[in-house]
Amino acid sequence: MSRLFVVPVLLLATILSAVTLTVIGPWAGPEMEKFMPVLREFEKQTGIKIEYKIYRAEDLANLLPAQFAAKKAPGDVIFMWASFIREYGQKGHILTLNGVLDEAKFLPGALDAVKVGDKLYGAAYTGKVKPGFWYRKSFFAKHGLTPPNTWDEFVELLEKIKKIPRIKAPIASGDGVGWPLSDVTEHFLISFGGPELLLDLIEGKVRWDSNLVMKGMNKLVSLLKNKYFGEPTEWTLVLKQWWNGDYALYFMGSWITGMVDDPNDLGVFALPGANGVVFGADYAFVPKYTQYPEEAKKLIAWLCGPEGQALQVKQGGHVATAVGIDLSSYPPVDREVAKIIQGVTALPDLDDSIGGEFQPTFWDQLKLLWVAPDRLNDVIRTLQEKAPKK
Amino acid sequence: MAFFVVPAFALVGIFVVYPVARTVVLSFLDSDGKFVGLQNYIKVLSSREIVNLEGLSRGFPLGALVHNLLWIAIHLPLTLALGLVLAVLLRNVRGGAVIKSIIFLGMVMPMIVGGVMINFMFDRNLGIFNAFMEIFAIPARSWTAYPDTALLALIFGSVWLWVGFSTVLYSAGLETIPKDLYEAAQLDGASALKIFTKITIPMLRPITIVVVTMSLLWELKVFDIVYVATMGGPGGASNVLALQMYLHAFRAMDFNRSAVVAVLLTMSTLLVSLPLLRTLRDDQS
Amino acid sequence: MKPKAMLVSLLGWLVALVWILPFMGVFMTAIRPLDELLNGWWNFQTFRPTLSNFAGAWNHPTAALSRGMLNSLIVAVPATLLPLFLATMAGYGLSRYKFRLRTPLLALVIIALALPQQTIAVPIFQMMNALNLVDTYLGLIIVHTAWGIPWIAFFMRNFFTTIPKAMEEAARIDGASDITIFFKVVLPLAMPAIGSAFALQFTWVWSDFFLALILIYSPDKLLATQRIPLMRGVYHVDWGLLSSAAILVMVVPIVVYLILQRYYIRGMVGWSLK
Repeated sequence: MSRLFVVPVLLLATILSAVTLTVIGPWAGPEMEKFMPVLREFEKQTGIKIEYKIYRAEDLANLLPAQFAAKKAPGDVIFMWASFIREYGQKGHILTLNGVLDEAKFLPGALDAVKVGDKLYGAAYTGKVKPGFWYRKSFFAKHGLTPPNTWDEFVELLEKIKKIPRIKAPIASGDGVGWPLSDVTEHFLISFGGPELLLDLIEGKVRWDSNLVMKGMNKLVSLLKNKYFGEPTEWTLVLKQWWNGDYALYFMGSWITGMVDDPNDLGVFALPGANGVVFGADYAFVPKYTQYPEEAKKLIAWLCGPEGQALQVKQGGHVATAVGIDLSSYPPVDREVAKIIQGVTALPDLDDSIGGEFQPTFWDQLKLLWVAPDRLNDVIRTLQEKAPKK
Repeated sequence: MAFFVVPAFALVGIFVVYPVARTVVLSFLDSDGKFVGLQNYIKVLSSREIVNLEGLSRGFPLGALVHNLLWIAIHLPLTLALGLVLAVLLRNVRGGAVIKSIIFLGMVMPMIVGGVMINFMFDRNLGIFNAFMEIFAIPARSWTAYPDTALLALIFGSVWLWVGFSTVLYSAGLETIPKDLYEAAQLDGASALKIFTKITIPMLRPITIVVVTMSLLWELKVFDIVYVATMGGPGGASNVLALQMYLHAFRAMDFNRSAVVAVLLTMSTLLVSLPLLRTLRDDQS
Repeated sequence: MKPKAMLVSLLGWLVALVWILPFMGVFMTAIRPLDELLNGWWNFQTFRPTLSNFAGAWNHPTAALSRGMLNSLIVAVPATLLPLFLATMAGYGLSRYKFRLRTPLLALVIIALALPQQTIAVPIFQMMNALNLVDTYLGLIIVHTAWGIPWIAFFMRNFFTTIPKAMEEAARIDGASDITIFFKVVLPLAMPAIGSAFALQFTWVWSDFFLALILIYSPDKLLATQRIPLMRGVYHVDWGLLSSAAILVMVVPIVVYLILQRYYIRGMVGWSLK
């Protein structure tokens, strides 16, 4: 009799253990190594195996539409841009997660990016924040500098730094495809135009030549004209130079904590008056064509829930979109960042959200603005041309 | 006979001739497929991306078309002159063949790598060009990051890449000039300069036509270098027609405008190859 | 040596030095750790060469060059052999037979030489999409083949006009068919020219970026040339990695050039001189 049970139980066990979920994410190298422990924990708890594949968002943007059209999907839980998730959710290629996720467990606004109406197509995972200007505490101590509380104090600080002999420029300008320059610009827009401004620009409700935008842009340009910013340099190279003392401040995302020798020497301050911070959360979705919808939903609920996110932030360099995670889960450096964003509105990245033709134009124009700040009006005009219109 | 010719030309017909025709057709349609005559051409030629008249007072960008023309204006004479000078110079140098090989390496590498090397050469921290400029007390900067120098940096970098072509061709050509012409001229007492201008240059004419044609084609079609080095920036200051065609088609999804740029580009290249076409046709008949 | 000759030699080698300097720079950047390069690669205060950049580029998690070089090879070899074969036949046909379409075909060939790749980009993408060949090596190989046939046909045709028809006529009198004559008599004679065409076509296909950019986008299918701009992109990439990748990618055509140098040069020169 018991043998009759053994067979189906064995079969079930084989089937269950045969379930391998494929998770697709953009992280490679050290970033991937931080992600794997979270996946392993899920495997341990549920016995469902997970295979991780690396695909950059840009490549997925080319690959997925074709796969979806063929009713296929390369993974069961896929990390992708929120705008993509919304678009293809509407087109019917993505499973809704209403009921699978507890929306109350997320930061206000965090899930908006993947919602259409009341249909929830994606889940918010941890993310990186772009909190402000980073400095080495040792550097500030050595030169008797303190973080500013007002705009005037900020300019004073820059002026003081400029006079330090070894300094190439007070603020390092990281360059690559176009961000971090775009990150700095967004920070200025938020600080002087308010958090709503970023959202309005994304929707095309506000013009680039409006007063609200120009306030922030003019402040930025005034700093550029006074040579407080360094020349755009490849962003990992300039990171080394900043660490070595060629620059004092570096506007960067919270991932910087994983890129320096001594994260405890890091300090960060936002521009005085910044009430919003760009939260680059990672979003994931479950495609309709997954072979294991129930298991995939289970995974995404756990991963993006407080448990999965808490594990991720423990690894360092991540900030959670889930609420209720104790500050002590964060490594000391990230705690500072987590503190900064308490009570502040989480905003999506401007150019990532608009995408299309605007994004490379935005980057290209900022590269121009940085070396030719007198061209502000031309830059604004071009941005307005390519901006989304309501 | 057909056996030899048909397979090859069938492929060419389907995958080259037809797409070209299709592009031409696309340039006269709008995004719904309606015929709009020359509207697209007017739109494109008057767009700031192609010709930017404000640039005349303000500085770069001047528009992709102007940038290509500038590329021609600087790159072509330099290629010709340097190629000839180097060919003459290296004729009697020990190990001249090795030197020529070194100069020619720039032609052999993929142009995407060429673009990386140009970026590298002009980089503020890592570029050798800045070390050179220090001699003239010119402050260091990343030359490809500034609108007024980005295009020029690319152009001069491309001279470094491409001069091997003209050098090698002229070298081969110099060998074909009969020595007795020189001897006769020297007996007549002609100066070195006279010999050079009255004998060498005219005898090299066929080669010059080839070098000029190939250079012009290359200067019009340049894409890889700009794509990887500056992506046309900053602010479009180093944009070129081929890149603009790509941006229209694959970033803005505007296939009709992109077709117009492609057609303009094609017409220019055909125009440029006419002299070569004519000499080749004359030789064949 | 006469002083003037010495001066000229010196100048010549100076030129060589100037020309090779950028290569040296890239090489130095590739083998030295980034910290040493912050003040310029020509500073040799510390010199701790390492091959870690090459390993990093070769095994890069998102843009591995090892995969890229393999992919480039998968495309370059057929995309060289196929047009070589087809176009040699076509060039032979154009040179030996007089037929009504000959002049227009010849003109077509010459026009195709000047054509920018941009002109066919969008329709080719649409065609390949319709044929389900987008993002496949086969699609890219077909386009390269079609693109290479005009110039190779022209090149081989010029070559064939320099070969006297005597041997072919003799074989024909002996009763051999046209096809046999081509494969048994003509092809062996054409080897030098085929060598040149091979060298040029292979390096051009390997070095191609634009057609690959249009037709290939799956990350594991990307060709070596496509991985280079990726390395400048979003993630943690530095000049050391980029330089080593650049060296790896350019090594292949340079090696082909060095081995087949005679044929390569003769191929390029042969367009202007007979």
